Amino acid sequence: MAAVFGALVIWLALLGPVIALLTHLSGSAVVSALTGPGDLDPLVTSLASGAVALAVLLVFCTPLAWMLARGTLPFPRVWEAGVLCSLLLPPLVVGLLLIFFVGPYTPLGQLLNATPWHLSATNTFLALVIAEVYESAPYYVVGAQAAFADVDQRVEEQAAMLGDRPLRVFRRVTLPLAAPSLGVALSVAWARAMGAFGAVIIIAYHPYGLPLQIWLTQQETGLPSALPYALVLLVVALPLPLAAFTWSAHARRRRRG
Amino acid sequence: MLDADVEVDRREFTVTAAVHVAPGERLALFGPSGAGKTTILEAIAGLVRPARGRVELSGRVLTSTEPPKIHVPPWQRRVGLLRQNPALFPHLSVRDNLRYAWHPARSGRSPAELPQVAAALGISGLLPAMPAGLSGGQAHRVALGRLLLARCDALLLDEPYTGLDASLRRSLTELVAGLVQERSVSAVLVAHELMEAQAFASRLAILDRGSVLQIGAPDEVVLGPASRRVAELVGYQGFVPPPGQVEDGTIVGIHPERVVAGGQRGRGVVLTGIVSACRPAGAGWEADLAIGAATITCRLPERPPVPGGEMVVTAVDPPWFGPSGTAVTPPGAASAAGGPAGQDQVAR
Repeated sequence: MAAVFGALVIWLALLGPVIALLTHLSGSAVVSALTGPGDLDPLVTSLASGAVALAVLLVFCTPLAWMLARGTLPFPRVWEAGVLCSLLLPPLVVGLLLIFFVGPYTPLGQLLNATPWHLSATNTFLALVIAEVYESAPYYVVGAQAAFADVDQRVEEQAAMLGDRPLRVFRRVTLPLAAPSLGVALSVAWARAMGAFGAVIIIAYHPYGLPLQIWLTQQETGLPSALPYALVLLVVALPLPLAAFTWSAHARRRRRG
Repeated sequence: MLDADVEVDRREFTVTAAVHVAPGERLALFGPSGAGKTTILEAIAGLVRPARGRVELSGRVLTSTEPPKIHVPPWQRRVGLLRQNPALFPHLSVRDNLRYAWHPARSGRSPAELPQVAAALGISGLLPAMPAGLSGGQAHRVALGRLLLARCDALLLDEPYTGLDASLRRSLTELVAGLVQERSVSAVLVAHELMEAQAFASRLAILDRGSVLQIGAPDEVVLGPASRRVAELVGYQGFVPPPGQVEDGTIVGIHPERVVAGGQRGRGVVLTGIVSACRPAGAGWEADLAIGAATITCRLPERPPVPGGEMVVTAVDPPWFGPSGTAVTPPGAASAAGGPAGQDQVAR
């Protein structure tokens, strides 16, 4: 009984801020905040950079997670420590260090500038993507590693014995079996990328995404005028995770027959 | 035809085996756990690389450690492997599991094959079900059907029915044996229960610590073990010097199920001992008999004397072993049976 009560208290406490947001918002305030010219730019920036960051995670972090789960990398502890390190670093510190890693006066920065497009990894869309990747990648890698580790290797072995090459086994067995948990990991990473702020404010002050917009509005015109952007951020950050969790639960139910 | 002659190095010993299994033939590898039975299957399946050796299946060389070195990957071997875990694909229905490696359009096979195999296995009603909803026996039938539809040239069964109840195990074993014969597949079963190996096999190989000790027809191996170690592995529980002989280290092996009460000199070796323990076993009794320094166990249909009493039993046609532990011909039977007959290979 006490446990249920405790659970209820913490649940309400966790949801409290969302409830507060909804009670302090009026429809007219949202409309007036979002209908001016350029008011939707931060939303577009956030969605676009988040989508690119997610694509980068999918392409580069999925193989890493798979190799970590299968233990095929030499010195697996070292690789895991690296992922953990980026998970544990405070985002603000990550932003600061990124300046010294990819900033305009670093070898990497100069290399970017030497490309035909004169890229820069500070205060550009690229910088925003980089900051979001740093803030979201470890969440995806850790989640995807667990997703792959859950796939029974005896089932993969059976697929191979039935004539499938490793890549085909991955496509026909490993991926479908890991997909529900991969989806959850990806959606957590999406929420992290959407809300990325610490690293973003240091290396990607421009162009504004939603988190920075909230912070700036709050600085310039006060707390209440930042609330509509908070709502917008919630609305774009939440659907993917919710869909992933629902689908994941559905897939598990279906497998149970 | 499956021809495997492999040596696989393991930490404690090297597994050495030469097995030749004709299409439709069923070989059982029997031995204690850790004897290297599974290792042999994995070498045939391509899951472990032998240190030395050669594997050939239906004229294709799958493994060769002599130049030209060959190691065909598992997915190109057309070898079916069934383990204790049926490893059905949990995200696919029974029908899609069966269809996983079955491509009737590409290989010119009849689309009626799937329903036929499902009917033969008694799983027609389960096709829309998901694997998680199946019982252990049903899951094994589906796994077997999946292998049959994949058209493997060899079928490797690695203690597949461990954990299922005895009657189910028996019926599945007989089902596989029938299908293997019907489809002329070379089949190898790894078993650590003799009854299961006997129910399945047309030939039986006894393995211990990585070596094949004896290969032959199941009853030849069980009734005429080539060495004391083989006898121990197939269930002979007592070894006593035959009475009335000069004590030269010769012993006879006593199997609990091949002992009858009373002295019947014409049927085997008559032994006299003191009953040291007696307990009910199934519908009969099991008694321990102290004969000199040795103890034998025998199963009897009638209640033996109470412990402490003397009892005379006859070990029916027991195998004789010389001082070195290898089988010897019993005196007086030299011309008749000629000792353990029909052995392909005798080691140690």
